[in-house]
Amino acid sequence: MLKVSVISPESVLFEGEASSVVAPAYDGEIGILENHAPLMTLLGTGSLRLGGAGADKRFNIEGGFLQVVENNVRIVTEKATAA
Amino acid sequence: MAKGRELKGRIKSVENTRKITRTLEMVATSKMKRAQDRVAAARPYANSLAEVIAGLYSPDLAERFPLLRQPAKINRAAVILLTSNRGLAGGFNSNLIKEGRNLLRRLDGEGVETQLHVVGKKGLGYFKYIGREVASSRIDITDRPTAQNAAELVDGLIDQFASGAIDAVYVVYSKFISSLSTPPTSVQILPVTPPAAKGPRPDYLLYPSAEAILVELLPLYVRNAVYRGLVENEAAFQSAQRTAMKNATDNAGDIINVLRRTYNRARQAQITQEIAEIVGGSAALEG
Repeated sequence: MLKVSVISPESVLFEGEASSVVAPAYDGEIGILENHAPLMTLLGTGSLRLGGAGADKRFNIEGGFLQVVENNVRIVTEKATAA
Repeated sequence: MAKGRELKGRIKSVENTRKITRTLEMVATSKMKRAQDRVAAARPYANSLAEVIAGLYSPDLAERFPLLRQPAKINRAAVILLTSNRGLAGGFNSNLIKEGRNLLRRLDGEGVETQLHVVGKKGLGYFKYIGREVASSRIDITDRPTAQNAAELVDGLIDQFASGAIDAVYVVYSKFISSLSTPPTSVQILPVTPPAAKGPRPDYLLYPSAEAILVELLPLYVRNAVYRGLVENEAAFQSAQRTAMKNATDNAGDIINVLRRTYNRARQAQITQEIAEIVGGSAALEG
């Protein structure tokens, strides 16, 4: 499982586990699964989806970056709302 | 009983004042709690940004990024002074204004041209009163400042700094260390002082590139510094107001005690006098 946190300037919107992450990178969508190589990418505007055992979680995000280190995924974005 | 009635009136009026200050104290206490939570909630974002920028930064990049440009000499600077819209918070606003004026005086002394940006009615009122020119002012930021507010405040200054129109930007706000310690502070937010890196940076795949990421993240970092100033200032304001109102409530209690004592003494003196008169009168009748 991936440990995911979604962080906006005002608060931490989500912190928990997910099996997959699909994020809008600056040049198109990027998908992250377990054991991904360390990665940092800029984010664009669009919807972020966290796949889990239950229903998917969705957020609308704008700008910021996504960072993957050792199955920890951190999405730090300027604007984020749960969708 | 003329004096007694007067005292009764004063006791009533101080009691009413105490009712008001106590209510304000309770309101400020609950607002402070919320503001404090917001300060805490803002921390992960600030830490993540600082960590990443520290990881990507290297001194030779500084030459090429406008926001990291270290001017040889500061000729023009902008100061953002954060104050509150409301008073009744003891020395909160005057401390901030004093800190702001000290900074302005120091910059003036160094021959720096300054432009002042004021947030909050209290600061604006003061600078209007002393007749200092204010470059811009905002009085519509609520007790729940948003990241959007911070962006609106500082984006123009970021552009000016990048184009070289100004050489430094400072923010003056009350740092929220704890509810009892909220010293007014001045922080230089531009040029960006990169945070110190902790440990070696992991070997990332970087998209599109370290530089492109840095270019995008530096303005975020500056905006976030202002946002933190706003939320910490708000928390500091609420705690200052709570302290001020608590002191006022305690003080009103003391005054009520003194007034009651005076009132009771006057009442007793009068009763004693009446008894003495009656006793004297009946003694005279008995002859």
